[in-house]
Amino acid sequence: MTSPYATILAGLIRHRGVKGCLVVGETDGLLVDSTLQFGVNGQIFAALTASLFRKARRASQAAGLGDAAFVQLEAENGRVCAVGRGELVLVVVAEPRVNLGLVRVDMLKAVEALA
Amino acid sequence: MKLQVAADWVEQPLKAFVDDARAEIAVLMHPSGQVLGQFGFARSVDVQTACALSAAIYASAGELGRQMQGKPFTVMHYAGKARQMFLAPVPIDGGTLLLLAVFGEESTLGLVQVYFQDFQRAAAQAAPHWTGAETALASDFEVELNRNLAAMFGRT
Repeated sequence: MTSPYATILAGLIRHRGVKGCLVVGETDGLLVDSTLQFGVNGQIFAALTASLFRKARRASQAAGLGDAAFVQLEAENGRVCAVGRGELVLVVVAEPRVNLGLVRVDMLKAVEALA
Repeated sequence: MKLQVAADWVEQPLKAFVDDARAEIAVLMHPSGQVLGQFGFARSVDVQTACALSAAIYASAGELGRQMQGKPFTVMHYAGKARQMFLAPVPIDGGTLLLLAVFGEESTLGLVQVYFQDFQRAAAQAAPHWTGAETALASDFEVELNRNLAAMFGRT
């Protein structure tokens, strides 16, 4: 059965350098839907990224900056990007060579369709 | 809040679970009523109540599952407004233990599930062969529970 988020995920995974994208529940950290093209346990990754996003959002609020709009984590071998709307978080995992600007624009567009 | 254990092997896996999953309360027990470790309760009577209720919930859920689908329900999650409860079996050599975890807004069900899997693996490796009771008899339940509570809370 196709989930309502399949089209969003299919659009994001087409970007060169994107290795996976997930829709995750922000408050429960549970995986809603995903397209992963690398070896990772989706449920573990979903729980941890949802926690990261929640904490980033709370830090942003605590600093008086309002809601976190776009969270990006740079790692040695890639990037993790997350945007949230309502109860859901859209997460993209990408290689360092990814066109981050393009992915960011598409993620911000896609997140509008999440809720 | 201090972690209290009635068996040495419990300390490391339970501490790791509490720290990683940000659990406010965690109790490791045997379904027969023996408590093996706890974090979050200050009074032994609260642990006693939690163990008795958890054992009853686990037994009821198991029987409900058998009636409905022919095999027992095992993992239970309850989401309250401020706190959530997670109760799940931990298989060890020779038996099964129960872990009760209560968590608030600092954690999520997903995180608790992730670190519970780690806890299951660590407990299965660390636990000695279980030689205690497999079924709870009403008289044994209280005796076993009180013995370990006395050890954990320093009573004689």
